[in-house]
Amino acid sequence: MTKQKNPFWSFFASVYLTITLLVFTVVLSIVGTFIPQQEAARGFVQGIPPGLASFLQTMQVFDLFHSVWFFLLMLLLSLNLIVCSLNRWPLTWKQFRGAPLSGEEELFRGLSPERIFLCGEDVGTMTGRLEGLLNRKYRRIGKTQGKEDAVIIYGEKGRYSRFAVYVVHLSVQLLILGALMGAFWGWEGYVNIGEGETADAIDLKGGKGTKALPFTIRCDKFKVELYANGAPKTYRSDLTFLKAGKTIYQGPLLVNHPVSLEGVQVYQASYGSSPNGRASLAFSRGGQEEKIIKVGPEESFSLPEKEGTVQIVRLEENLMQMGPAVKILVRSGQGEVSFWVFQHIDKIREMNPGVTEQVPMFNPALFKPYLFALKGIEESYYTGLQVSRDPGAPLVAASAVLMIMGLIGTFFSSHRRIWIKIQTAGEKTKISIAARTNKHPVVLDREVRQLTEQINISLEKGST
Amino acid sequence: MTNTMLLSWVTFLYFGAFVFYLFHLVFGKEFWGKAAFYTVLGGLGAHSLGLLLRWQESYTLGIGHAPLSNFYESLIFFAWALVLLYVIVEWRIKNRSLGVFVLPLAFLLMAFASLAPNVSDRIQPLVPALQSNWLTSHVVTCFMGYAAFTVAFAIGIMYFLRNIPLFGFIPEADVLDELIYQNAVLGFVFLTLGIMTGSVWAHYAWGSYWSWDPKETWSLITWLIYAVMLHVRYVRGWKGKRMAVLAIIGFAAVLFTYLGVNYLPGLHSYLQS
Repeated sequence: MTKQKNPFWSFFASVYLTITLLVFTVVLSIVGTFIPQQEAARGFVQGIPPGLASFLQTMQVFDLFHSVWFFLLMLLLSLNLIVCSLNRWPLTWKQFRGAPLSGEEELFRGLSPERIFLCGEDVGTMTGRLEGLLNRKYRRIGKTQGKEDAVIIYGEKGRYSRFAVYVVHLSVQLLILGALMGAFWGWEGYVNIGEGETADAIDLKGGKGTKALPFTIRCDKFKVELYANGAPKTYRSDLTFLKAGKTIYQGPLLVNHPVSLEGVQVYQASYGSSPNGRASLAFSRGGQEEKIIKVGPEESFSLPEKEGTVQIVRLEENLMQMGPAVKILVRSGQGEVSFWVFQHIDKIREMNPGVTEQVPMFNPALFKPYLFALKGIEESYYTGLQVSRDPGAPLVAASAVLMIMGLIGTFFSSHRRIWIKIQTAGEKTKISIAARTNKHPVVLDREVRQLTEQINISLEKGST
Repeated sequence: MTNTMLLSWVTFLYFGAFVFYLFHLVFGKEFWGKAAFYTVLGGLGAHSLGLLLRWQESYTLGIGHAPLSNFYESLIFFAWALVLLYVIVEWRIKNRSLGVFVLPLAFLLMAFASLAPNVSDRIQPLVPALQSNWLTSHVVTCFMGYAAFTVAFAIGIMYFLRNIPLFGFIPEADVLDELIYQNAVLGFVFLTLGIMTGSVWAHYAWGSYWSWDPKETWSLITWLIYAVMLHVRYVRGWKGKRMAVLAIIGFAAVLFTYLGVNYLPGLHSYLQS
């Protein structure tokens, strides 16, 4: 065979190469868990000498699992697997198809005594009986004439298991292929959308720019539910997906329940309080009727009679442990004045008598003759969505199914072959049993033991 | 809570069983062997009951979920799977010597769960990421795998002790070799299933079937080590001492996957709670 002489071929046909590659993958993975990777590496890089940092960066040490090293390992492993499989295939095929009844005299040498029987029946009777016995449990029963007057019968089981290991290796190939497809044609990114707002592009992971989505996402509502102990129970975004102004899908998005649209998956990843909560601000002029207005940060409104404009400068959920507050800036003919309006001003006064006199900034009546009051802040959320596309995922899923099937075939079944030789030995008939398996000799031994027990039983029956 | 009470009693039963296995080996009387085995069976029964009670109690609390959701519950389930596997192995090989090595491990797991100050035995509600049907299948398969690897490790240790006169009760090398192999295979298949179910879950919860989170990476490392072990056996015919060494190395990787990675930052770090 010429291909065995080809150095390229014999290099990739070696199992040592496989082991070496697997060990390298292990080492690279270990390093990858101890040296911070990707975004996590930023702080680490700043702590080491710049020369070393730039060297390590060039060596892609901070993104090992997407590095050329890892890619190379997977490529070599893949080639190694292909060559090994091709190399072994003819032998496997031969063992699968193989005419089982040739040159089997070898098999019967050095048999242990419990695999040899003597009985009174003639060769013909015993052959028929043993054929029946094998037929019950084995397939591809065959019969041939051995040396002298010996008859050899044959049966086998589980020959398809010889292919199982190829199925496992095929699944590894598919897995590598699927992962590569994901790496080359897949993408992943994040987008925050405030309630009532829309987004049609996302920021790609690792600062690789933005990506336009094939649709527009609108966040109608975001909700957090908590358990009694304060742990989060549900994160839920009510989303509307639009294309050219038309709704193509509308529904809730929950953790563990992504929305899949046009090959793009949308996940509930995070959330936050958006800075544009709205304050319900009340004001009255010199004890007159109170008016309430809803304003967001940076927004302003005019006081009646053009006495001034009010702008919301800051909006705090909990200012200095004194509850919700807004800082407003009033511009008027008299100039500018800025102060805080607390929601719980009565309680604050009660706890700290005279506070509004000592700290004018906390006095809601600082702009005379107006009195301001905060009725509440409506919290507003944004939802954090993870958006990704992985064209390799179906391949990876298929490889998982194949791998499990292959592993079960590889580990829990074996190709077991049994030969029984029946020949005359003086007055008696001699029966010898030979057996071979490609793995799990323990299983084969158990089967042969069962078979010999059955033969013993049938002999006892026959003799009575 | 009744379940934690019951489970802390199980800890003592496993310790008792270990002591009986020791007596069995010191005095050589079958009585102690039987006593040990029935203590283990009793412990396993109470252990199963404790798990079921805990499951039921979580429903009474209105946050019903399988008891497989935090570090305490994972330790308890690990011990359960280990003892279950041990009972099967003892019953199959009709040799009690393995008990001296496996039962202390089960005892340690249980004792750590009950006594370690940073392991909370409270039944906690599931945070959104854990509210998945894949939680149960992922945890069960992973820990069945860990249990099988632990048994393989214990037999690997026995392999090295068998020539010391004190440990004359250990079965012969061939039997140990076969047991190491069988348990490694069982663990490998379960770990494969565990990684797969985890990937499917990650696909739904984290938006990617694989994120190179340290726990994911270490499960791959463990998987590769056992893959190497099975290859050198099938293709190079490695047996005995070398397999025992690999079973011990593999178990070190299992331990790091289970506990060590909690000290590395990552997505699985909620296990710290």
